[in-house]
Parts: sequence; structure tokens; C-alpha cells
Amino acid sequence: MASAAETTPRWSRRRGAVWRRAGRGAVPYGLLLPVVAILGAILGYPIYSLVRLSLQHYTLFELIRHKGQYIGLHNFGLVLHDPIFWHTVLRTVIFTITNVGLTIGIGTLIALLLVRVSGWVRILITSGLVLVWAMPPVVAVQVWNWMTNYQNGVLNYILTELHVGNFFHHDWYATPFSQLSMVTTLIVWEGLPFIAITVYAALSQVPGELVEAAEIDGAPAWRVFFDVTMPIIRPVLLILTSLSILWDFGVFTQAYLLIGQPAIQPGNYLMAIYLFEEGYFKNDYGRGAAISILMLAMVATLSVVLVRKMVQAGDVD
Amino acid sequence: MRLRVVVAAVLAVALGVVAATASASGNRQSANKLTVWLQVDAQSGWPDVVAAANQQFQADHPGWTVDVQYQNWGDHLQKFDATLAGGNTPDVIEMGNTEMVKYMAAGAFADISSFKSTFANSDNWLAGLAKSGMYGGKVYGVPYYAGSRVVTYRTDVWKKAGISKPPTSLAQFTSDATKLAVAGKSVKGFSPVYLPGTDWYFAMSFVYDFGGSIATTHAHKWVGNLNSPKSIAGLTAFKNFWLAVSKASKTSNEANPAPYDIFSQGGAGAIVGPGWFSCCTGAKYKAVTAQFVMPSHTAGKAMPGFLGGSDLAVPAPSGNKALAADWIKDFTSTSAEKSLQAKGNIPNATSLLGTSVNERAAARSWFVPAAKHWVDVENGNILRTMLSTILGGKFTVAQAATIASNNITTTLNQP
Repeated sequence: MASAAETTPRWSRRRGAVWRRAGRGAVPYGLLLPVVAILGAILGYPIYSLVRLSLQHYTLFELIRHKGQYIGLHNFGLVLHDPIFWHTVLRTVIFTITNVGLTIGIGTLIALLLVRVSGWVRILITSGLVLVWAMPPVVAVQVWNWMTNYQNGVLNYILTELHVGNFFHHDWYATPFSQLSMVTTLIVWEGLPFIAITVYAALSQVPGELVEAAEIDGAPAWRVFFDVTMPIIRPVLLILTSLSILWDFGVFTQAYLLIGQPAIQPGNYLMAIYLFEEGYFKNDYGRGAAISILMLAMVATLSVVLVRKMVQAGDVD
Repeated sequence: MRLRVVVAAVLAVALGVVAATASASGNRQSANKLTVWLQVDAQSGWPDVVAAANQQFQADHPGWTVDVQYQNWGDHLQKFDATLAGGNTPDVIEMGNTEMVKYMAAGAFADISSFKSTFANSDNWLAGLAKSGMYGGKVYGVPYYAGSRVVTYRTDVWKKAGISKPPTSLAQFTSDATKLAVAGKSVKGFSPVYLPGTDWYFAMSFVYDFGGSIATTHAHKWVGNLNSPKSIAGLTAFKNFWLAVSKASKTSNEANPAPYDIFSQGGAGAIVGPGWFSCCTGAKYKAVTAQFVMPSHTAGKAMPGFLGGSDLAVPAPSGNKALAADWIKDFTSTSAEKSLQAKGNIPNATSLLGTSVNERAAARSWFVPAAKHWVDVENGNILRTMLSTILGGKFTVAQAATIASNNITTTLNQP
């Protein structure tokens, strides 16, 4: 009795093999399809609505009647010709670089510390970090507000008692620079736990023998870090830096609430605050939509650059 | 197989419950509930007046309840905008008189002219307040109450300082402050007069006292007027007075911290604000709290006070317009207005006016430019920024005033 394989003609077997390969290749895409469809619906429709809104003149008058009027790219023209927009972009870029630099820098230092200390100290530090991580941003802002209060803040009291200077009735929010510095402190404080704990996990991948060997060779600590440790944790640091940049570029809650609405003015605008003021406060929803699309374009470009770098860093191994 | 059946049954029941409750709560505007938005001033100042109005309304309309939600001045407009977009508007909303024009022009409110005769004392509503509720000849807002600014002070500190009676001129007030600082020096950081840095309601009084103004109209266009010589003289007088009498933060505002909180903690010899501030000066100093009218730089005259006030309006999308108008009628009845008056406010009709310190202060008053985009000037903090840069010394009075003036011109002349 001839077997099925022998009686099937060769051309049919090859075509079967091709289909099987194609089927195997199509399976991943087939599995992705439901997720892509849902994400497309959840994200796609709002983005489509946003683009449509940015092409319309839509103020309070139109809001009440639920109908706008098309004006093409006029909103974008207004925004790009507004000097406040460009000052705000510059200020947000500087703000982001400062925040990300401080968060990654101090976070990595804390992670290196966690490697060195004894078990119970590590538990204490990690518990503290997790408590910070768990605090909701609005609650954190309120606590920061009380601590740095002009009238009776504990920060002023401690600094005066420690004879650092006379900080009685010191106004920590006197100028836009000091306001944004306070916001930076809060955001770095809130961002440290994630960075520290993730880098600490990454550091466990660094082989102890390599570090020991470098130390025996007489390399100073910073050389050991940059030449031995860094290359190994580079992919993780890249991911954390990208995420931090994306988050800090669009920060709104902490800045808006800590500075306080009565003190918000073009001199201390960040991109998200500028968007809120133009779009909501001044009821120019079309203009707000245009600003948010420009922000989206900036962040998307940045993401492409960063993801490319991450993929390349991963390929190097 | 059995497990799968059980799981499927549980999921089906859960989905059924969700669907059932969703359809029940889908009807957002509950049939028997009137939603009212009032400001927190009512919550802290006259909750009994609100309760009395609710009781009267519920007695007239059995089966109906009133849900009063208290809002903050800082964000109530954004919340209102969100309800206008989403369709969940309140039935009655309290609006500041400076906020009305923009919303009336956009058609946010229902025309309640037909109900005007049912409102108490509507024939002699205060002219300025009534005007803020009218647009195109129709009534959209009912005057609720007005308030001028008065000085609330501590009689014990003044007695200790050897001052026998309240000052009658700005110069006298300034020299009194030096004595008050000595009298109150046991409290660290004591302010003879606690004035927040960016309280523009108070600062602009100086501008109007010297004959200046915030903005004027020329050929149907608004022109910022803060950089005129008279306005600058007023701002300079404000700067000198502030630096002499207040130890508050130069960037603080009049809501946070609340001046009456500083007063109740013993940190101020006097505060400036609406008459109803006397409600909250604390149990410790209740017996020594009194008020006087802020004096002008011209001896014997009152400094013009900001005639603030609120109107009550019915949002256009509301489904209960007649009932909303009825609630407003209950809340602005003669007895309600008299209660508000007793708490230190100015009632909404000339027939009810008395001679309290608050009402005497209102004899000389000023008001913001009646421009559609005035509320954008307020929200953009143009005046607040000007004041903090003047007090902080970043700009001279003339520089800061010019910047603010230009910004005001641009903002008010938007289409």
C-alpha cells in the first residue's frame, strides 16, 4: 500500500509547504490584529476628532451649539506666529533636560548605593522609595505646598533653626525661576523611586568578577562605573531616559497645582499649561487642539529617535 | 466543561447587572432634583439662607429635592464649560458679575425676562448689578448680592497702639501702621494690615482713587489705561502703602491663605476684604472685631471700593427653567436679602439699602470695564503679574503698568 506522501504529486507538496510557511508567518499578525483594532478605536477616534477640531474655529459660542466652522490651517498659523509658543517650547525643553538629568543621575546614584549597603538598610531605603512612589501626585503637591509655605512652612522653620540663614517668611515662589525650581524638586522626588529600583535591578546583571577585576587593576571608582558597569546597563538607562523625557515634557498636574492658577502667566508656562490656558481658560478649543497636535508631533519625533537608539543598542549585543 | 459553564454563567450575570444599572443611571438629569451651583462664599458665610430657600422650594414643590454644589471661583467656569459640552448643566448657577458678559454673548443662559416680575424687589434692583445680568435688552441674570471692600480690624491692638479712632485718610492710616507694628510685635511676622501681594481688587481702588482707570474706549476699541499718569500715581501710592503695612508674600493672592485665617491666628492688625469676612475671624478675636471704610488719599473721603457682586442665571440647556426661576425667587426674597445684609453684604435692591459700613463703603465704587473678554484678562492674571513685579521690584511702576496696559488692550480687543 503506497503512503499518502508518495502518492501526492511533488508540485502539490511544495505548494503545501509554501502555504504552511506563509501561514506560520501570518499567525503573529493575526494574533496582533485584535489588539491593533482596539487600540485603533480607542486612540484613533480621539486623534481624528482632535485633528478635525484643530481645523475649526471653536470657541464658547460654538461649544454651546455643538458646531464649529472650518478655517483650515489658520489655528496652526496663529500658534506658530505666537512668540509665547516658542518661548514656552524653549522653556519646556530646558525644564525637561534638567528634570531628566537630575532624575536619572540621582536615581542611578541611589541604585549604586543600594548595591553596597547591608540588607536591613536596603529594606529601609526601598520601603521609603516605594512610599514615595505610591503617593498620588495631587496629595504630594498639597504636602509640598504646606512644607514650603510662606506663612508657616516647615522648610523655612528648619532652615532658620539650623542657622543656614534667615528664612523666616521666605517666599519660595517669588519668581518664575524659583517656581519652576520647586516644581523640578517635586518631580525629581516623585521620579526617583522608579529609576532607582529599575537601575538597581539592572545592576544585578553586572558580573561581580568584572568589577572586582577592574578594581584590582587599580581603576578609580568612576572609571569602573563608566567602563565596566555602564555598557551593561546602557539599554535599561536608555529606556528610562526615553520614558522620563516623554513624561517630563508633558507634565501638567504638579506644575499647575504647585504654582497655583493665580500665579500662572506666560513667564512660567510649560507646554501642557500653555495648552490648558489657551484651550480651556480662553475657550479657544480649536487653538488648543492645534497646540496639542504640535506637541504630539514633537514628542513623536523624539520617540522615533529614541526607540531607534534603543533598538540599535539592543542589536549591538 | 462544568467549570467553563460556571464561568460563563457568572460572566453573563455580571454583564446583566452592569447593563441594568447602566440603563437606570443613563438618565442623568434626574426627574425630581434641581441642581444649583453656588460659590463657597455662601457655604462659609450664609449656609442658613441657602437652607431656608431650599426648605421653601421643597414646600412649594413636593417630591423635589435641591442639590446645592459649592464651587470655587478659580475653576467653576471650566467646570461649567465642561457641562455645556457634555450636557449635564446645573439648573441654577451663580456667576460673578464680571463673568456674565462673555457667557451671555455666547448664548449660555436662558432668557428669564418673563419671570422678572416674580422676583422680589425687581423694580428697584441695584442698577450696576442689574445691568450685568442683561444683554440685548433681555434679562439673563438675577442680582443676588453685592459687596464692597471694608477694613476689618482688631480693636484691642488699635487700643494698645494708642489710636482712638479709625483713620480718615491714607496718610493717617500709614502713620497709624507704624504704631500698630510696635503694638503687635510680640507676634513674629505681624502685619499691621495684612494685604496679599496680588489682590488686584484692592490695588485698583488706588488707581481709581487718583482718577485713573483700567481701560477706556476710543472709537469702539478698548485701550488699556494703566500707564496713564493718574493710574501710575495710584499704583505708586499702592506700592508705598503696601510696603509700609504688609508683611505678606508679594506673590500671594486673596484666596490663599484667606486673610481672615491670618487674622484669626493673630498675625494681622487689620485685613481688607468683603464685609462678610467678619464671620470667620475666629472665636479668640470675635469680641474685638470691628470694621471701617477704607479711607481715600483725600482726607474725609472713602477710597472707591470694588463693587463685586454675583448674579444667578439659568443655563440654556437646563430642562427645569420654570422651577429654577422659582428657586431663584426663593433665594432672593426680601427676607433672604435681609439675612445677607445682616451678614455684611449689600442687598440687591435700593429699597433694602441701609447704613451699614459695607453700604457706606459702596457709596464710592469702581467696576471693571464692561468688555466681553474682561474675564480673559482676569484669567490671564495680567493684573496679578503686574502687581507682583511692582512689589518685588522686578519692574518700575511705569514699566509694569505699560506691559499690563498693552496686554489688556490686546486681550479686550479680540473678536
